[in-house]
Amino acid sequence: MEEYPEELRTPPVSLAALFGYSELHASISKHLHSQQPPINALAFPDLSHLSLLLAHDDQINRTPSFRDPLSVSDSSPPTPSGCGGILKRDWLLKHRTKVPALVAAFFPSHHIFGDPTQWLQVCSDLDNLKSVIRPKNIKLVVVVVQSSPQEEISEDRLVALRKRAELDSKYVLFVNSSIDSELTLSLSRHLALAYYREEGRRIKSRIEKRSSHSLDLNVRYCFKVAVYAEFRRDWGEALKFYEDAYHSLHEMIGTSARLPAIQRLVEIKTIAEQLHFKISTLLLHGGKLIEAVTWFHQHKSSYEKVVGSTEFIFLHWEWMSRQFLVFAELLETSSATVQSFSSLNQRTTEISLTEFEFYPAYYYQLAAHYLKDKKSTLELLLSMSVTAQEIDSSSESVIPSVYVGQFAQLLEKGEAFTLHSITDEEYIRYTISEAKRFQDSFEIVAWLKRSYESFTNLKARRMAALCAFEVGREYFGLSDPRNAKFFFDITANLYRQEGWVTLLWEVLGYLRECSRKLGAYKEFVELSLEMVALPVTSYGDSGNLENEKYGPGGPATISGRERIHREIFTLVCREDELTSSTGESGFNLAIDSPLDLEIDLVSPLRPVLLASVAFHEQMIKPRALCSITLSLLSHLPLPVDIDHLEVQFNQSTCNFVIRNSQRPLWDSASNTVQRGGQVENEPSLVLVPNNWLRLTYAIKSEQSGKLECLSVLAKLGPFFTICSRAESPAAMEDLPVWKHENRVESLPTKDPVLAVFGQKATQVEEPEPQVDVSLGASGPALVGEDFTMPIEVTSKGHAVYSGELKINLVDVGGGGLFSPREAEPFSLESHHVEICGIDGAEGNDESESETGNIKKIQQSFGLVSVPDLKDGESWSCKLEIKWHRPKPVMLFVSLGYLPHGSEASAQKVHIHKSLQIEGKMPVFISNRFMLPHRRDHLLVNRIKPAPDSEDMSSLPLNEKSVLVVGAKNCTEIALKLVSMSIELDDEQGETSCLIQQGGGCGDTAGSANLAPGEEFKKVFTVIPTMRTPKLGLGSVHLKWRRQGGNNTTEAFVSTKHKLPEVNVEASPLVMSLNCPPYAILGEPFTYAVRICNQTQLLQEAKFALADAQSFVLSGSHSNTVSVLPKSEHVLSYKLVPLTCGQQQLPKITLTSVRYSAEFQPSAVASSIFVFPSAPQANATDKQ
Amino acid sequence: MIVCVAVVGHQNNPLYIQSFTEADDALKLHHIVHCSLDVIDERVNNPKKSGTTLNEAFLGLLYPTLNYKVYGYLTNTKVKFIMVTTDLDVRDTDVRSFFRKFHAAYVDAVSNPFHVPGKKITSRTFADSVSNIVRSYTFN
Repeated sequence: MEEYPEELRTPPVSLAALFGYSELHASISKHLHSQQPPINALAFPDLSHLSLLLAHDDQINRTPSFRDPLSVSDSSPPTPSGCGGILKRDWLLKHRTKVPALVAAFFPSHHIFGDPTQWLQVCSDLDNLKSVIRPKNIKLVVVVVQSSPQEEISEDRLVALRKRAELDSKYVLFVNSSIDSELTLSLSRHLALAYYREEGRRIKSRIEKRSSHSLDLNVRYCFKVAVYAEFRRDWGEALKFYEDAYHSLHEMIGTSARLPAIQRLVEIKTIAEQLHFKISTLLLHGGKLIEAVTWFHQHKSSYEKVVGSTEFIFLHWEWMSRQFLVFAELLETSSATVQSFSSLNQRTTEISLTEFEFYPAYYYQLAAHYLKDKKSTLELLLSMSVTAQEIDSSSESVIPSVYVGQFAQLLEKGEAFTLHSITDEEYIRYTISEAKRFQDSFEIVAWLKRSYESFTNLKARRMAALCAFEVGREYFGLSDPRNAKFFFDITANLYRQEGWVTLLWEVLGYLRECSRKLGAYKEFVELSLEMVALPVTSYGDSGNLENEKYGPGGPATISGRERIHREIFTLVCREDELTSSTGESGFNLAIDSPLDLEIDLVSPLRPVLLASVAFHEQMIKPRALCSITLSLLSHLPLPVDIDHLEVQFNQSTCNFVIRNSQRPLWDSASNTVQRGGQVENEPSLVLVPNNWLRLTYAIKSEQSGKLECLSVLAKLGPFFTICSRAESPAAMEDLPVWKHENRVESLPTKDPVLAVFGQKATQVEEPEPQVDVSLGASGPALVGEDFTMPIEVTSKGHAVYSGELKINLVDVGGGGLFSPREAEPFSLESHHVEICGIDGAEGNDESESETGNIKKIQQSFGLVSVPDLKDGESWSCKLEIKWHRPKPVMLFVSLGYLPHGSEASAQKVHIHKSLQIEGKMPVFISNRFMLPHRRDHLLVNRIKPAPDSEDMSSLPLNEKSVLVVGAKNCTEIALKLVSMSIELDDEQGETSCLIQQGGGCGDTAGSANLAPGEEFKKVFTVIPTMRTPKLGLGSVHLKWRRQGGNNTTEAFVSTKHKLPEVNVEASPLVMSLNCPPYAILGEPFTYAVRICNQTQLLQEAKFALADAQSFVLSGSHSNTVSVLPKSEHVLSYKLVPLTCGQQQLPKITLTSVRYSAEFQPSAVASSIFVFPSAPQANATDKQ
Repeated sequence: MIVCVAVVGHQNNPLYIQSFTEADDALKLHHIVHCSLDVIDERVNNPKKSGTTLNEAFLGLLYPTLNYKVYGYLTNTKVKFIMVTTDLDVRDTDVRSFFRKFHAAYVDAVSNPFHVPGKKITSRTFADSVSNIVRSYTFN
């Protein structure tokens, strides 16, 4: 696009000329220029420079005349070139820089209104000016510059001035020297537009008389009308006339006979190019992307076949290439691409456009393609004809002629230069010499790179890869292997990923040559091997190697693979005497330059040597033999003979060598296998294509832990090794390029199980520990006691060095693991089970001090160091664990030690022991309250319980209640109970309540042996002395220990049990039943119910006595009695029992009216035993 | 004239590619087929942007190169068929019917119990039927 002149590339700019009063010019020009759209200004200091205006085109080939300079009609005298052209080269430029649309003449006011001589001068100036501009229809404005606004103006002179200038009054302006030029500006714009409109109309009228003139004139007129329309910013009309011009021009192909054939076509195509450029620009700036692309398609297809002379077809290719390039650049710079796809949905039906045709990248790529065509045809032309080779640029002075697309020879005739038309032959000589000067390759590379970047940005990776490939090829052609390699690598990576083998082959062929040229031997070998191992299976051998369609790699065939295979293996496996011949491959190698190739899991060289290693066992014993199968696969086309193989493990002592016994021993011993290491011999080590080479050996490991095969190293010849990463058959991935091949796949090992699940690593077990760790106790442990766990370490064959005992408590109940880290933020209370201490090593005191005795104890973790023990010795310690809650716990004890002294390399042997210990509650403590016999208190709360004190027992104030505390052994162990007592919590408790132990002397009564399941009960009396809804009764303290065992020194364990709180109330009424302890059938007895009022108020009590079947009763059944304060009322009944046995006395129900509470004595209290007769035993006793 | 047909797997790996020209430009056609995968990607990933409806397998004209037109077809299993022709004026209906026949031939080939899905198609019968289909179509 840059090669177009600027006036073509940019929209036209109007031009105005200024005369006189040069002080104002600068500011006016600046104003005009800053307008939107801008107007350029030509400034002349005074009218004497009038001749300079429009001067240029009159000089070269025109006699000064007032002919219309803008049109070249056929009637004009023939130009020296002999024939005309379609468009003049400088026409656009002329309208930009030479031919103004408007002339503004500035006169000072005193010249007009002052001295008559000056007025005469003004008149003659105006006449001159008019005579120049009038024929061209250039508009005129006269500006009178006043020195002050108050200046006197003579009307007569003004009228005379208008008449002289033939102007309307509005085109005569008055301005101050300090003008604001707004008015001027709008006027000049208006006038300039008027000028272009008139010019356009004038030429349009000529077009309408179409029949009267030839096609080329029609083209010219249309072009001009379009340009004038552009001046007016009338884009629609401009577009229409450009298209008209374009179509007329197309008709000229084959009909015009003005110039020699080649030049004629060149002219037409050049103009078509310019018209097309204008049209595309207008379309794109109007946002009509689809129209622009469609237009480009039409343009391309209508000129694609207009080749011209086939001999000089390079001209056509160059032209085509330029079309694509210019359109690409237009697309790239146009803002229309941004909103491209919004309008894409309304596709035109006749031409379907595809996505990539809207991207500049597509056009850049094709521009490069055509330029390559041009380059190759030009090279062909140069190589074919001797004359073409001799052409050099200095031969003729051919220059572009005055017409667009034409060339002429500049001849010197004395002082003057004349242009002379040239023949086609001369023209071709000229173009060839021009073409030779250009380096097309750089252009091609530049455009392809742009295309590549653009496609990369669009995420069109494959298109980008193709562009990169083309760039690489171009660099390759320029003998720039470094750059070529860079781009080929990009391409190769994509083709590798997607498995496009034929394309990959092609790129690798180029890359191989690049590395050969760069002298990169290792890379060359790698690339060659990669090519050789590609899944190329076609047999077609049609193409010969010199065919240009193939890259340097030749056609992708099996024979091609084999050829490269042979070449590369003669190079790398050369023996000493062959070294001299390697020069032919392009490498000068020193005799002892070794080449080591590393193949990892992502390397493209994996198909060259695939090593699968499988251990037969998942676990092996140390120092025991274990089978290992080594399977090697190669996709090389020809068999390969391996000299020896080295198998490398993570435990380097296990490394071993497999030697091909047919091969001589190379004295260059391997550095990975120690001297004296395992060496196996095989009769032959030949890798047959696509067949697994399976080798099975036995190895043994000394060291416990993981044993993993790392790599397999194959040595081929003295200087070449391939090291392939070992892979597990179970986790072996397919080869990316081979996985899509339809072929029979065999398993790496014969054993199908091993082939599917085989691993390249195995676990070597630890040596069998010969030390015993015993845990001396089992559960259950009781809550509260220090549970002692004796641990004994006994050596049975191994000495113990640097022994360490790790102790861990783990909650099995699901309460979470008590790791030491977790334990720290919690208080001791939150630990339900904890290690209290480790009672170290009895009798080994001196060794403890030697080893420094690490003792680290946390709540659930302990670390104890074990002193060194010789064979047969033993050591023990005691672990104390305390349970705070009943909980089962897992105890893990592990001992790690060194059996053979404290060498750094030695491995520790570990023994693990674990034991689950139950933690149990030793005793279950229960309590019960009882009131004195046959005495019932009206306790309002008991009858109408408050909602929150559901289970609370109530006690009457200042009354003696009985508390029975029971302790039941709920373990399977017999316990010895030492004492049981109730301790009140604090002083408040002391005063509020009085607790006495029943049965007098407590010490002897508290001591008891409790068998499993047995319960011990103790009676206390409680007298509450303070009225409170919540009375703390303190807690039961129980001292106990395990029964049995000779260890009498063992401390007692004290267990606390908090008694529930009770409600203490004063009872307003107390009902006591008085009756004899027993009754005798038929004998009457007295049954008295005392109702005692303990309040200061009169209490009304209703009572009702139910009849009982077993008694005959006398007395009132129901009544209401009033009981005076602090006194009692006695209801007395006489009862005669009728039935023997335990009988229910008649039930009395008492209702306190004041409290509207009803209560009854309990069933136990209101029963009596009836004897059939007076008990005799008693009688005899009495006697 | 149809110059090249290809079957491309869903990992964009070639499963079958065959050119039908006397000229030795198979490589060029391979490049064209490979590049046209970009257009398919674009159409499948941005169906709105490109304005095509993906309700049918036929993808239409993928892109015009210098002398060729490339058409695409996408099966439900994301296997792509690509056809390169030198004919410049082609009716969509003809291409559609070509792809239908081609698809049928492909289905026959992969229904072979000995064919492993995802592997290259090496069946001779498939190659024969494809070349028959190709020969029966000249678009103008």
